[in-house]
Amino acid sequence: MKCLSRVALIASMSVALMAGIAFADESAGKFQADFLAGKLTWDDVLAQARQDGEIQFYYWGGDDNLNIWIDSVVTPALAAEGVKLVANRITGTKDAVDLVIAEANSGRGIGDGSVDAIWLNGENFYTLNRQKLLFGSFAQAVPNAVNFEWNSEDPRSQLNLRDFGIETNSQEIPWSGEQYVCAVNRALMPTEKTPSTFDGLKAYLEANPGKFTYVKPPHYLGNTFVQEVLYAFNPDGTGSAPFQKSLEELGVDELARIAAPGFEYLKSIEPLLLGGPTGTVRYPEDASAAQGLFRNSETHMYCEFGLYGVATNRATGNYPQTAEEIVFPENAMIKNKNYLAIPANAPNPAAALVFANYMASVDAQASKLETIGYPAGIDPWKLTVEDAARLEAAAPGHFGVTQADLDANIAPDTNASLVDVIEATWLEYIERKSTAPLAEIIATAAKNLNK
Amino acid sequence: MAIRRRNDRVNLSPFQKFYLLVAGAVIIGPFVPLLIQSFAFQWDWPNVLPSEWWWSARTRARLPQGWDYVLSPYSRLLEATVNTVAIGLVVMVICLAICLPAARVLAREKFRGKNGFEFFLSLPLIVPESAIGIALLMIFIRLGLAGSYAGIIIAHLIPTIPYMIRMLTAVYQGLGREFEEQAYILGASRWQTLRMVTLPMLMPGVVAGCLFTFLVSTNIFLLTFFLGQGRIITLPTLLFSKISGGTLDASAAGLTLLVSLPGIILLIVSERFIKEEAFGKGFGA
Repeated sequence: MKCLSRVALIASMSVALMAGIAFADESAGKFQADFLAGKLTWDDVLAQARQDGEIQFYYWGGDDNLNIWIDSVVTPALAAEGVKLVANRITGTKDAVDLVIAEANSGRGIGDGSVDAIWLNGENFYTLNRQKLLFGSFAQAVPNAVNFEWNSEDPRSQLNLRDFGIETNSQEIPWSGEQYVCAVNRALMPTEKTPSTFDGLKAYLEANPGKFTYVKPPHYLGNTFVQEVLYAFNPDGTGSAPFQKSLEELGVDELARIAAPGFEYLKSIEPLLLGGPTGTVRYPEDASAAQGLFRNSETHMYCEFGLYGVATNRATGNYPQTAEEIVFPENAMIKNKNYLAIPANAPNPAAALVFANYMASVDAQASKLETIGYPAGIDPWKLTVEDAARLEAAAPGHFGVTQADLDANIAPDTNASLVDVIEATWLEYIERKSTAPLAEIIATAAKNLNK
Repeated sequence: MAIRRRNDRVNLSPFQKFYLLVAGAVIIGPFVPLLIQSFAFQWDWPNVLPSEWWWSARTRARLPQGWDYVLSPYSRLLEATVNTVAIGLVVMVICLAICLPAARVLAREKFRGKNGFEFFLSLPLIVPESAIGIALLMIFIRLGLAGSYAGIIIAHLIPTIPYMIRMLTAVYQGLGREFEEQAYILGASRWQTLRMVTLPMLMPGVVAGCLFTFLVSTNIFLLTFFLGQGRIITLPTLLFSKISGGTLDASAAGLTLLVSLPGIILLIVSERFIKEEAFGKGFGA
């Protein structure tokens, strides 16, 4: 029902609005224009923020630890700047995005909305960006921008410049990083039998049928697993590289060619996944269902975003106490960042900037890392030696691998325009067991997307 | 076979006892795992009981877990409870003020299109809440009512009014005009009649309607969620934001237990009240 209502909401909105929004509040409009033109000093922004007085921050409120950290660390830090943080916990990030769109559609222009900042990435950023509902290029204009790598010649800057392959144009600032890490239950999977490649995983499953599964696409955790498979079985051996291009650049036929071996692999392991041996394969619907299977020893291995996920989930009892991280798959562990964005019609844009700047500070990042184990969003090589050491000391431990092992095997996310096609192909080929040729399925998926 | 004793107590047959036991188990059953989960740190299949309890893991936890989280200010349980009760009470009062006169007319007068009007009144029960919610959101954003208590209260009136009207109409129908006429003949003013004759006789229906309205209001999720815009939290929205990820961890279980408390308390109170007050004194006639 929620889903349906969303469709209706979006449908009713697409009637109007495609060309940005009108000016509603003149002083807010002037502040935005002046700030983006670089006419304001940071002191001006701080003064304006105190005048704003509050900031309406919207974020997914499902993590107790994060809620505690926001309320006990971020709220007092902003209060010291004279800004009251109103942290609105929402059920899904999309709700906040829908709210911004609904308000803009009802004529609530610059300075006149109700959302100042949203924690988001990927698709939700893509939506706001496409509808021109973002405040503007602010991420490189706040003082703590020095904590990030912006030089596009350094490949490591890509995580700050692109979000799921879409250029961010500094309209969002990174505040947390993530890496897709597989954890194994050491009580069940001994070190010498641990796979490090997808072929290794298949061999393990042949010996231990039914002891692994992945979250069902279109859930992003499932999509990510599928993407890693596609990288690994890219017939050209170029891994993630071609998957960085948009669907338009890459072309449907080329996508079909490079994705086919990966999908064949996914099909071939299906009888070996959880429930496969008895004929009813089970793909858990979400992270908590998959965690439950892993915790209950029904699966030996479980993959999820979470660089420090094992440390955190052992502490909360979510993972078995015998869980350890592994490097899997070699050279193709997807790493991305998530961001804070400011909507175009933010009622308190100056306060939102102060908030974004605080979240990008070494203080906030070290505290976040230490308290709740969310990986740093800032780049350690851009920091002073002391600050970098502080960040490192704050990081929770790893179990079974080192940070260097994990860093050495990263790969970027797939371009957002390909994600939908890959997802639709999985549903058709694996879920609905279509017998049509793969190239045809992919072509249909791409065509339906453009409708 | 049931044998009647003094005090209206009844000896139950074995089948009846078994039936009661099953009914009780079905009602209480789901709460048992919830209760265990709320005190569990790690509860693994195939263990019947948690392999580690919350209190033993508590000493090494760096952040409040389980009940510590639920009962800490971080869970925002207090704010949600106050909001829920306050909104429920205001909705109840406004709803009553609207429905009392309306029910009187519906019960006693005959007018053109009355049937159609009654059907119209129950429309909110048929139209999906999400459809109402989206339309209202668009209107309320323009009016500046979105994200405000006033907006939520107005929205809560929509699904509660049909129930209240139906209940009040039913009691009004049972209350003949002659009681009020009697009072007028004896020289009572309209206000005196309402206060001393009509209302006391309507009391059972009013109480039942109010309790029901309050209970419905405190359980509305979707409208609150749409129109509160995440800014106004109530017990249903708090619970949903906690369990929507599909996690039923210790703190979610604890929260669920606490959220179901007001309903249970209200049920016990209303049960007693309606039994003694309403059906005890009855409808006079």
